[in-house]
Amino acid sequence: MEKNIITSPLTGDSCIHVKHSSGLDIYICEMKGFSSVEALFGTKYGSVNTMFRMREDKDYTVVPEGIAHFLEHKLFENEDCDVFELYAKTGASANAYTSFDKTCYLFSCTKNYTDSLRILLDFVQKPFFTQETVDKEQGIIGQEIKMTNDNPGWRLFFNLLRGMYHNHPVKIDIAGTVESIAQIDAELLYKCYNTFYNLNNMVLSIAGNISADEVLAICDECLKPCEDKGLETVFPDEPDTVVQAEIREKQPLGTPLFNIGYKCVPCEGRARLEKSMAASVAAGLISDASSDMYQKLLKAELINSTFGMEIFCGDGYFATIFSGESDAPEKVRDELIAEIRRIKSEGINDKDFQRIKKSTYGVLVRELNNVEAVANLMINSHMEGTGPYEAIEVLSSLTKDDVLGFIADELCEDKLVMSVVEGEV
Amino acid sequence: MKYNRTELGCGIGFSTVIDEKFKTNTLSVRFITKLSADKAAENAIAIGVVSTSGGKYKTLAQLNEKLSSLYGASCSSSASKRGDIQILGVGGSWLDNRFAFDGEDVTGEMLDVLCGCIFSPNTKDGAFDNESFMITRKDVLDRIESEINNKRGYAYSRATEVAFRGEAAENSCYGKKANAEAVTAESALKAYNELLRTAQIEIFYIAPTENEAVEKRLREEFSAVEREVKSYEFTNYSPAKESVERANEELDVNQSKMVMCFKSDSDDTKALKMLSVIFGETPTSKLFMNVREKLSLCYYCASRIVASKGALFVDSGVEKANIEKAEAEILRQLEEIKNGNITDDEMSGALLAVDNSLTGVGDTPSSYTSWYFERFFNGDKVTPVEQSELYRAVTKERIVEAAKSLTLDSIYLMLNKEVSE
Repeated sequence: MEKNIITSPLTGDSCIHVKHSSGLDIYICEMKGFSSVEALFGTKYGSVNTMFRMREDKDYTVVPEGIAHFLEHKLFENEDCDVFELYAKTGASANAYTSFDKTCYLFSCTKNYTDSLRILLDFVQKPFFTQETVDKEQGIIGQEIKMTNDNPGWRLFFNLLRGMYHNHPVKIDIAGTVESIAQIDAELLYKCYNTFYNLNNMVLSIAGNISADEVLAICDECLKPCEDKGLETVFPDEPDTVVQAEIREKQPLGTPLFNIGYKCVPCEGRARLEKSMAASVAAGLISDASSDMYQKLLKAELINSTFGMEIFCGDGYFATIFSGESDAPEKVRDELIAEIRRIKSEGINDKDFQRIKKSTYGVLVRELNNVEAVANLMINSHMEGTGPYEAIEVLSSLTKDDVLGFIADELCEDKLVMSVVEGEV
Repeated sequence: MKYNRTELGCGIGFSTVIDEKFKTNTLSVRFITKLSADKAAENAIAIGVVSTSGGKYKTLAQLNEKLSSLYGASCSSSASKRGDIQILGVGGSWLDNRFAFDGEDVTGEMLDVLCGCIFSPNTKDGAFDNESFMITRKDVLDRIESEINNKRGYAYSRATEVAFRGEAAENSCYGKKANAEAVTAESALKAYNELLRTAQIEIFYIAPTENEAVEKRLREEFSAVEREVKSYEFTNYSPAKESVERANEELDVNQSKMVMCFKSDSDDTKALKMLSVIFGETPTSKLFMNVREKLSLCYYCASRIVASKGALFVDSGVEKANIEKAEAEILRQLEEIKNGNITDDEMSGALLAVDNSLTGVGDTPSSYTSWYFERFFNGDKVTPVEQSELYRAVTKERIVEAAKSLTLDSIYLMLNKEVSE
């Protein structure tokens, strides 16, 4: 078992990567001077992974929407007790989440991290589902689905994705629907568990006031070796086109909310990182708080300080999204289109490009200032197929042509979707 | 870590925390004043305008351009409340000079930017610059109107209005829409000057290395401000209503919300906090384990203490059909505590949870600021370790007494329009 030390040449930060004999990838960052510890044990299994097979399987298995999230809930119950009761004895604050492309179990603490780490590694490797507990969870998750449907920001975002994607499961709600989760039973949960919770498909990331040797000794003690069964996940073919250019919904609301997104061509690994960095700098040049467009929209009272942008990408999806609050979102969209046309014809000012690069660098370095952010950075970058400090390196070699190329190729008017949630009349 | 607090002038505290592990510098200036219906919006807008331009940077565009060239430094404002007190904050955060690859003095430049905003705001003819003012007023108005977007937060806010009716704490820290609409560029500048003159001011500078220039500059700038400080009580216990008030609101929502407010006249704040942790602050609390997990009555059901008002709130997301059952079960769980049914595991779990959060003080610049700001309000100098010991000394008997001191004051319900009767 080799300890690979990864160092950022630009900031001097470093962490350790180990490919454990059990198959698990482990990232450890000892952070001097910090008191807290953040640990995440995650699997590359999210709401988009609805179709899969193992090497020995002939056919693909298709599972109900929301099952990864359901599994996350159920794993917190083991045969003897609730996992939270175990954490209560160490003082750690524990949680879990399911996103589009991963499920992570985590804890943060300032004391007894070794005991908490044992609990984490143990319960995630020890599923216990019965039909009775599955039935009960359907009620709890049903309430969660209802609650998120009252969240206008959530509805706004999923409407945008439904407007963008014809077939890709990124458009489905992470928790599924009351109807889809009704199809879940204990047997199906075990099938998904045994497929995706193979240590070869998982990562442990831990940062803060820890000792790498202690962490690795606990891993040796708790991890059960897994055979790599050649997991293959597939996605339905996704056309380049969008489904619907505009989607509107009404809810009890203040100022209307909008998401304006450009559907871009997806890619993987280092290429995705390079593209997302070009997209991030491009979005900054177009609309950051010092840009002409931002100032124009602000003075016209078409946006407020909630205006922002986001690069949203994963396996089979990539979008550049502008969001905010506006009484006239269609006017914001028109200004955005006009500004992108202008940049395509006039190019980018070198001074602005360097300034946005500097600003982006600042954001990346700040991330290293925080235990929780570092633990998240390590797990996210691994799941993306890159290293923890690669983003800073990619940014430093990013050129103006890379950014212009991204704007020219990817921010196309026929790939634009606007989602609006507005108040009820 | 090295902590020091000094006075820069009348009612102006300056705390520095030097902690070499950080990669950033953070400066936060907080104005402390009385929360009131007629001034809340004006103050919130005033502090907002201050963070949009000032000094050499006459427009938001110029300021933002400067900030992004300083490696994405921030200059921002905030409004919040603590019981009957309104807190208006302005400040910034920036990368430490050692990460500036072009060798800039980022700290020096940010000190100029922030002092420009705070001490030379962008004004003309006795009013804030109109453009900066209009942008900020719209922002505050949108924020007031958007409160309803977060249904849980909205329900809690309505519940505090009901619970603290007639007291300053009933107000939002942003004020009401009509008050915000009535604010002018002139009245906002007056409000800001009033804050500079009369508010208690606490300043926090969190950095990896000492920098005497920060204190020197702030001391100089404040020496030019005529001060006539007003002081306020930071803790004002809210009396319980004679009978429980129920306030219902119907909205087109899928999930109903219930927020219960209990009032206490106990001054045993440590016991009240331990009570709240055991009752409903963790996933092993009585409310989570029983109301959510065992009986599936709520998706969330949690308690919190508002120590400055002697109040405890329980907020929950609940199906309309389960509201009565949920209310009864929440009251039954409180009764359990009053009857002394607290296990040793619950006691030790609560202590560990409290200790865990106290030991984490210092891991982020904002945690240092929150900790030392709270020391200012409490008028004490305890360390997180000493605070932990004070919690450790809380006995079951004290928790039972704290529980017995609670009286149900009011219940706010957000009901689903379609199924309400």
